[in-house]
Amino acid sequence: MDIGLIAQQTVNGLMLGLIYSLVAVGFTLFFGVLDVIKFSHGDMLTWGVFTAFSVYLGLTLIGLAAPVLILVIVALVAMAAIGFLGAAIAKVLIIPLKGAPPLNTLLITLMLGTVLRESIRLFYPDGANPKHFPALLPDWSHSWGHFTLRFDNALMLLTGLLMIVLVQLVIKRTKLGMAIRAVSQDEETARVMGINFNLVVYVTFAIGSALAAFAGVIYVLYYNELSFNMGLLLGAIGFSAAAVGGFGNIYGAIVGGFLFAMLQSIGAAALPFASAYKDVFAFGVVIVLIAVKPTGILGEKETERV
Amino acid sequence: MEKKVSALSVRGIYTGYDRADVIEDLSLEVEEGTITCLLGNNGSGKTTVIRSILGLTPPRAGRILFHDADITHLATHKIVRLGLASIPEGRKVFPGLTVEENLRLGGYQEDDKEVLLARMQKVYALFPRLEERSTQLAGTMSGGEQAMVSIGRGLMGAPKLLIIDEPSLGLSPLLVKENFRIIQSIREQNITVFLVEQNVRQTLAISDYGYVLSKGRVVAQGSADTLRDNEEVRQAYFG
Ligand SMILES: Nc1ncnc2c1ncn2[C@@H]1O[C@H](COP(=O)(O)OP(=O)(O)O)[C@@H](O)[C@H]1O
Ligand SMILES: [Mg+2]
Repeated sequence: MDIGLIAQQTVNGLMLGLIYSLVAVGFTLFFGVLDVIKFSHGDMLTWGVFTAFSVYLGLTLIGLAAPVLILVIVALVAMAAIGFLGAAIAKVLIIPLKGAPPLNTLLITLMLGTVLRESIRLFYPDGANPKHFPALLPDWSHSWGHFTLRFDNALMLLTGLLMIVLVQLVIKRTKLGMAIRAVSQDEETARVMGINFNLVVYVTFAIGSALAAFAGVIYVLYYNELSFNMGLLLGAIGFSAAAVGGFGNIYGAIVGGFLFAMLQSIGAAALPFASAYKDVFAFGVVIVLIAVKPTGILGEKETERV
Repeated sequence: MEKKVSALSVRGIYTGYDRADVIEDLSLEVEEGTITCLLGNNGSGKTTVIRSILGLTPPRAGRILFHDADITHLATHKIVRLGLASIPEGRKVFPGLTVEENLRLGGYQEDDKEVLLARMQKVYALFPRLEERSTQLAGTMSGGEQAMVSIGRGLMGAPKLLIIDEPSLGLSPLLVKENFRIIQSIREQNITVFLVEQNVRQTLAISDYGYVLSKGRVVAQGSADTLRDNEEVRQAYFG
């Protein structure tokens, strides 16, 4: 294969890996603090993207013409809104179900996901059809032979990686992060330390949901298209990535996200027939991995949680 | 005579997990500045009393006062913020956090970095071993070292009242002795201690006052000396 093509595939794989990782980190954080799988997580991403799109439309309507400024506002508003929504869902739906069988939470969030998704289709203007998301970053690029590095892609990768590093720092280095890890390891003892358990859960859900919105914004900037059901596959992939990495393990979720993107790339390159089978291939490998190592490739011991 | 101040007052509580009450009509007082102990066999309900006080399993009826504040139905983290700390049964260190992080969590309510640092120095002075191991994951330490982490963590909150649940459980006789010595030194730092134990002899040796629990009820109480001489207690618990 041509080296330029490989480089192109690598950028593509990194971008997707980044997006999957950001979604997977949410799943793993939620599982950490509450031992729940929140199946509506992918649809929160969709809501983040539609929030971003609406804010974009609003800003252009009032005549703001600086694309980069628009993008910054759009991303921040989407993250704040979805973060808030995530915390609200935790308060209203998920914490009250604590103590009920985990299956209930799973069902509730599955239904919530459907509600979120369908409400966009039904209530967003022309919500059933995909929409075009504009390129808000300058279209500078540089070519080396067959390989063209687009400036916007590089910037998105960089910002995304910084976000992952930031999340790691918050979890590992701050008092809040310490509280999140304490709650993940032993909720009751964390309470006895004076930690406000509910507050930690709200904040964790806010962080995880805001990350999904952020991932969504990167995704639409990359593909320039949004639709009401885009979160479905992204949610399933993020979930698989978290599972492969070992639920509750943040490093695992990040590794899992990039691994999934790599599998897709391999699938697309190795399977001679339609590259549409790349997802089938990637999910197939994930199934095998989970069957072989049910606790995830980073082999969660209880002590490694979050 | 000195004026007696009640640090903790448990008044006629009933506590249970499902339907049946494990604790029935239990009352006890912990006077400020004392070591007060609660003795009883396995399953008699000692830990449940502590869970009631900490709001982890709030009592179904009755009241609990901490320095005259009614904490019966307060959330656990709010109770802790009033100046109550505990060293839980089985240590309950956070296994995936370092020794230092475990200690920091003990001082979670305190935001002043200087104060926290000073407290940590005190803990390290008490347990030099913990300073050597400050970056080690607590889950990888020996039982005795985890006990140090748990005690140190309890002290990091600089509590008015420290509740200790069976500190000698699972420790070698030598470490048990060391443990009781440390508990005595804690009282000397003006921290009131409510000590839950099965180890009757050594507990009464350092306690001022004691209660004996059986099947969720207080069956005997008195000063440590009188309990030691109490024939019933002797027969039941000094085997
Ligand atoms: N989490 C729980 N759920 C149900 N029952 C419990 C629970 N914890 C303790 N019990 C029951 O309550 C009784 C008292 O237990 P506990 O308070 O732990 O006693 P002790 O600390 O004196 O050994 C026991 O019969 C025990 O089976
Ligand atoms: Mg007990």
